[in-house]
Amino acid sequence: MSEATQSSAAVNVAPVRFSPRRVWTLAYATMTQLMRMKILPFLLLFCVLVAAMGFGFSTINPEQQLSQFKTMSLGVLQVFSIVFGIVATALLLPKDLDDRTLYTILSKPVPRFDYLLGKLLGVLMLIASGLVIIDAVLSLILWLQQSMLFDAAVSQLHSEKQDTPEAVAQMREIVARQGLTWNLHWAVWAIFLKAAVVTTVALLLSCIASSTLFTIVIAFCITIIGHGHAMIREFVLQPNLSSASVRIASFLLAAICPDLAQFDVVDSVANGEVIPWTAVYEMTGIAALYMTVYLFVTHLVFVEKEL
Amino acid sequence: MSDTPAVSVNHLTKVFKGSLGKGAFRAVHDVSLTVKPGEVYGLIGPNGSGKSTTMKVILGLLNATEGDTRIFGIPSTEVASRRSVGFLPENPYFYKHLNGRETLHFYGKLCGMTGDHLKSRAEEMLALTGLEDAATRRVGGFSKGMLQRLGLAQALIHEPQLLVLDEPTAGVDPSGSRIIRDLIIEFRSRGITVLVTSHLLEQMQEVCDRVGIMAHGRMVREGRLDELIAVENQTEMVLENASPDLLAKINALVKAEGGGTRLLRSGHPRTTLERLFLEATNEPKKP
Amino acid sequence: MKRKLQAAAVLLIFGVLKMPLEQRVTHDLRTMHLVDEPLHLGVKGNMGQMGLAAAFGGLRGLIATVFQLRAHVEFTRVNWAQVDKYYGFVTQLQPRNARYWEEASWHMAYNAASYYLYNKELKPALRGQLFHEYVQRGTTILNEGLALMPDNPRLWQKLGDLHWNRSKDFKASGDAYLSSFQHGGLNFTERFAGFAYAQANDPDSWTKGYAILKKLYDEKKATPGLIEFLKMLEQNLHIPAAQRIPDAGPVRRATDPQAGPLRQ
Repeated sequence: MSEATQSSAAVNVAPVRFSPRRVWTLAYATMTQLMRMKILPFLLLFCVLVAAMGFGFSTINPEQQLSQFKTMSLGVLQVFSIVFGIVATALLLPKDLDDRTLYTILSKPVPRFDYLLGKLLGVLMLIASGLVIIDAVLSLILWLQQSMLFDAAVSQLHSEKQDTPEAVAQMREIVARQGLTWNLHWAVWAIFLKAAVVTTVALLLSCIASSTLFTIVIAFCITIIGHGHAMIREFVLQPNLSSASVRIASFLLAAICPDLAQFDVVDSVANGEVIPWTAVYEMTGIAALYMTVYLFVTHLVFVEKEL
Repeated sequence: MSDTPAVSVNHLTKVFKGSLGKGAFRAVHDVSLTVKPGEVYGLIGPNGSGKSTTMKVILGLLNATEGDTRIFGIPSTEVASRRSVGFLPENPYFYKHLNGRETLHFYGKLCGMTGDHLKSRAEEMLALTGLEDAATRRVGGFSKGMLQRLGLAQALIHEPQLLVLDEPTAGVDPSGSRIIRDLIIEFRSRGITVLVTSHLLEQMQEVCDRVGIMAHGRMVREGRLDELIAVENQTEMVLENASPDLLAKINALVKAEGGGTRLLRSGHPRTTLERLFLEATNEPKKP
Repeated sequence: MKRKLQAAAVLLIFGVLKMPLEQRVTHDLRTMHLVDEPLHLGVKGNMGQMGLAAAFGGLRGLIATVFQLRAHVEFTRVNWAQVDKYYGFVTQLQPRNARYWEEASWHMAYNAASYYLYNKELKPALRGQLFHEYVQRGTTILNEGLALMPDNPRLWQKLGDLHWNRSKDFKASGDAYLSSFQHGGLNFTERFAGFAYAQANDPDSWTKGYAILKKLYDEKKATPGLIEFLKMLEQNLHIPAAQRIPDAGPVRRATDPQAGPLRQ
């Protein structure tokens, strides 16, 4: 036993500051905790599903096949990341409270903000890892498909004596546009941003709510409203459309919920649209803003929360 | 030792606001107590008497409605006050995927400990709590007593000057309970202040220097244990190998004394059931 | 309690401040064609679309793909009414996806129309009528898509193809190809516009076609087909001999205007 414990005289009044190392410790523990919840087999199953989808479609043309594959896999990926973000976050805090792990953590010199940030980062790190793995699988399948479909389409053109340089070039252009491009990764990035915003909202709700079910249900409601946000906003901004009470209710909804449709570039990517850097910056910026403010509000609620 | 109390609770009142349709509930009412550095202080009382609530306010997990609590002079509302506290909650669970050593490393890192210092401290704590053999076992497979000891180890990892233990022996078998009580006595000998709650009075009697008795959210008695439980007008004498003649002589002397002096009872003192249990379960196995 | 009030205030103030920013980002993303524009269907329609968007929670693309697969199943069963219905859902869910409009139109104007045209169980008059109805349905679908995306060269090109191959309306085909080229379509669409105009029945179209083809000829982008159409137009428009391109061989009109002039 050291001298410090021998004497009770030493009273250190220096404030406990934010520590990235502490946040990392909490985030890493959260990530491993979630990984033990059988998340890896689920990821593997998803990869198998994606692979099956990639080669399982009955098709009319290569463009349709590539596009359908991208839409389906990115759509499922989006559902997976949002559901995972909401459910994992809604479970984490109540579980720590039930197990009294929260008491042992917060009775250490750990600021509550560090704890919150650690939990959030842990969930986001796991979502990000999952998305990176699936993105790699998706890219591989798309690249394989792209080459196979192009060869098949050219040989069909050849057999029909339609393989003029123009037709082949057009086919190449179509397949290249629908195949593996950087846009696919930006779409996955947009999916991550959306999931990150929804996860932060779920964290805020789980600090307010006393039941996991309530957190999950309300987080899903906000997710749904968030996708219609642009229309609520435009409705609020149009004058003389409805009664004052309806307008106030719509305004409150628009004020509280994030606009999640801003991250809905997945369909455009599946259509072969190119995502410029400006769009990436704007999406990343607004997601960072949402997360910062929602996390700050979460902190204000949690710092006073009675455990 | 410094004069600054390890724990000071001044006129603490805690009221829980009622949720929809329910009235407010006053869990703690104007409680004051002081824990001096180096002593073992027992906060005892029946379930619902406000012990755990008082403890949570001391640890900053709950906010005081009125009054204030301090740890070594620092208000409990400051995170810095937790630098010198280790806490073992009632029936603790830890991350099941970690093993004993990893759990201690996790809590050590939260306290800012790193490298060799953390590693050696974790090993020291495993040895102190008798968990060396379980260092690489997943916490998910730990028995209740082992979890409690791991809880003690994590509470001590950052070398705190104050240990707060909430029902440390609840639900633990007698041998596990014995180990925990021995550890509390060991902590006291090392100069660590201990604030412990329990409703197992005999066990508290064994380890505490001072106790506070709470009931219905109020502090009803407080003081040194030996003073509180001493029956001032009675004297106990235990003899070994006393002959019947000697006992008869003593009896006669007492009668001869007269006045208010009288012999209340005599007979063979009984061992405690706990001691009997420990002797029986620690006997070597017969071939 | 104080902090909770602060939290509510921060949330509300941020809510007010973020709205113009969200408006701007949404506007930018819509300009880049990354996020769907709301359909201009009036307020009620907008609210309906909001309900749709909300109900699918950002998964309109995924749901559209599912409907597309169902449409494909109906296509294999040659159930054209169902194919049309499912593609109706698909194009409503993904109105900015040109491919869906194109596929919907293709199913109607080519597959369904041909199915009825060659269906020997039907009376010849009915066959022709159904053929024309489905071709018209395909044209309508493309026009609906073009109303939402008037700058889409691909849809213009497909409309040009449809008029050329199915309704034999070469003037309309030429207009569509030309529009495709003007909106950034592939180079051949300009040439096809010229070919289509050349096969129309009115001198105005011939003039337009001649202008296009002559320009391409002068830019040394002539193909054998282009030269033959150009020579045909020189004859039709009575271009003075001095202005005609050098003779590249006799030209005769094709019996089937779709085939273009025959080469020797």
